[in-house]
Amino acid sequence: MRTLLKNGRILDPSQDLDVIGHVMIEDDQIAAMGPDIPSDDVDDIYDCTGLWICPGLVDPHVHLREPGREDEETIVSGTQAAAAGGFTTICCMPNTSPPLDNPSLVDFILDRAASPEAGGVFVAPVGALTVGMRGEQIADLAAMKRAGIVAASDEEFPIQSSFIMQKAMETCVQVDLPIMAHCEDLSLSNGGAMNEGAMSAVLGVKGIPRSAEEIMVMRNCLLSLHTGCQLHVMRVSTWGAIEMIRQAKYLGAPVTCEVSPQHFVFTEEHVGEFDTHFKMLPPLRTQVDIDIMLQALQEGTIDVISSDHSPHASHKTQAPFEDAPFGQVGLESIVGVTLTHLTHRGILTPLETIRKLSTKPAQILRLDAGTLKPGETPIAQITVIDPGFEWTFDVNKTFSRSRNSPFHGMMLKGRSVLTFSGSEIYRDRHFSDDRITMVT
Amino acid sequence: MARNLLSIRHLSPDQIEELLVLGREFKQWVIEGKEIARLNRVVGQLFFENSTRTRVSFEQAAHYLGLKSVNFSTTGSSLKKGETLKDTILTLRYERLNGLVMRHPSSGAPALAARYFAGPVLNAGDGRHEHPTQALADALTIRERKGSLEGLTVAIVGDVEHSRVARSNAWLMAKMGANVRFVGPRTLMPAHSGLLPGDVFYDLESGIKDADVIIALRLQRERMTDGLIGSIGEYARQYQINRDKLRYAAPDALLLHPGPINRGIELDDAAADGEQSVITAQVENGIFVRMAALYWCFHEPEPPKPAPKSRAKKVKA
Repeated sequence: MRTLLKNGRILDPSQDLDVIGHVMIEDDQIAAMGPDIPSDDVDDIYDCTGLWICPGLVDPHVHLREPGREDEETIVSGTQAAAAGGFTTICCMPNTSPPLDNPSLVDFILDRAASPEAGGVFVAPVGALTVGMRGEQIADLAAMKRAGIVAASDEEFPIQSSFIMQKAMETCVQVDLPIMAHCEDLSLSNGGAMNEGAMSAVLGVKGIPRSAEEIMVMRNCLLSLHTGCQLHVMRVSTWGAIEMIRQAKYLGAPVTCEVSPQHFVFTEEHVGEFDTHFKMLPPLRTQVDIDIMLQALQEGTIDVISSDHSPHASHKTQAPFEDAPFGQVGLESIVGVTLTHLTHRGILTPLETIRKLSTKPAQILRLDAGTLKPGETPIAQITVIDPGFEWTFDVNKTFSRSRNSPFHGMMLKGRSVLTFSGSEIYRDRHFSDDRITMVT
Repeated sequence: MARNLLSIRHLSPDQIEELLVLGREFKQWVIEGKEIARLNRVVGQLFFENSTRTRVSFEQAAHYLGLKSVNFSTTGSSLKKGETLKDTILTLRYERLNGLVMRHPSSGAPALAARYFAGPVLNAGDGRHEHPTQALADALTIRERKGSLEGLTVAIVGDVEHSRVARSNAWLMAKMGANVRFVGPRTLMPAHSGLLPGDVFYDLESGIKDADVIIALRLQRERMTDGLIGSIGEYARQYQINRDKLRYAAPDALLLHPGPINRGIELDDAAADGEQSVITAQVENGIFVRMAALYWCFHEPEPPKPAPKSRAKKVKA
């Protein structure tokens, strides 16, 4: 079985490659790629003229909610959403109920993800760093690593004790796992619900000061520097935090970081009249933060763009602002939003866009993904993007079980239209049938 | 058609004027014992947070307007059983309540309620956000004595950060042409006050200097254990309005307080009971502005209707 993706713009950051060419998939693997490859004995041909052929996208930060909140998302619905959004590999976060802090739960997740109903994408679990994510006792990281976790994180319950964090980092060096850290000093955020700023003062909503994030980013960067533990800072939102990370990288600490589209698209003003769809963690900040963030994306201080896909039941978001949960779904809007707000505006080149959405997160978490090089990944992971496709994001037409999106109704330009993981796992209805030739 | 009273921030000066004039008229009618046309509707009094004065005041206002009040408080309600606010509001809607008066510890909760309730929702205080009827009562009290708010200097003193009274009053006074000052320690002041309509003063003497009106705010004792102030004594020495400090204000300055007063903390007895104090008048006017608010919410002017189609068109040839 040979499938040819023909005549697309190949964007492969792993080879710094941006050329018009073809990709050949043979028996689930990438057999050849480039401007000039033999194309005889082909079974199926997908005409990718005018489209981008990229390594399958990788989202290092997704909440699948299963086990525990299957009304909000399941491994099946979440992986389907991922495939539709252009992702072939996603990392699921451990803040489930019960938390993902032991090997048997890792087995459970990998089992569910491999089931035939699931979306066909790879799920790489992130294990809890401490038992029950309580920040007290380090979890069985070595056993969980054998079961298949790719990183450890206490997610929304960040370890407050610097001593425990230091020991956790030493343990992670020992077992060779990166730590993904949500950075928040809970004594400073202290029940706040939005950015501490001019808007929170008007709305009378308790604010989360930027220092709550920056202090923890700084602490974790310093601990990473001194222990040598690989640290991936999740959800960066302030210019101060970006500055800390820049410094840490300069000092040689093994630190990387990510931002999510909501933080470079919206500001605290979008909260408007207590709109819970704009209640984010960390909170939406200000235009100054966005300006610095765009710069940092451009120069590479920010390594990764992740969706932080956080499904929530509507009864939770239809609540008073301060009682509503933080977060948004994002798997199915991130490509459109990123291309619209970064790529088409010239902030990122197409190649850099794909680097932050695929190659870089794969490298950071050492995943078999993020490249189109033949033989590099066990099976072919490819995403085809139509960069010029204009559409309006409708959260009611998504695979996710939840509807909490701040991007609902937004005009977007760019969309993933084909996703391959070995074989085709998602084809958008906007990928015209005329483009497909089935030889068999 | 019904309309809500969720905040002062969203009212125009004309609407505020309308409410204050209505309040003055209702006051006159009640005092003269005039018959007031009964509204014959049922209003739910939803108090998700303790309140005595606002609740009594709204019940009195409803009573004078011939509205029936139905009480609903957190103790004994379904909220204890885990019902969401949205479901509670929908239930009350289909219990055929016509209006809601709502107090809630969470900022913005009445705005959420208004989305699911088909009828007027009146904010009786939401979190730190707003307390519109308190500001209306204060404005009526000031106008009775000063004639107009235009050009007055109004100093709001105390725990501004946590105060819905401060926010509603600031919006109202500023919209009606007064100069607003926020006075208090840094720890009790919003960190970024740029969008609030007033100037910030961190010391009392300059903050109330030549002020025509002083609105003293209640200091919650928890602020001490929260680490926001040193001791109560330390606060009182710096920010208490007392007979000495009052001299910094204009000689005919009015002193207001939304109650309940911590005597000896934000006010001393001499100030609270002195000639400049209008605190009891605020309480009484609270009833009349709440009558105005209820009436106003139930009587939104009909939007202009399109002119009826000409008859000739309808008649078949």
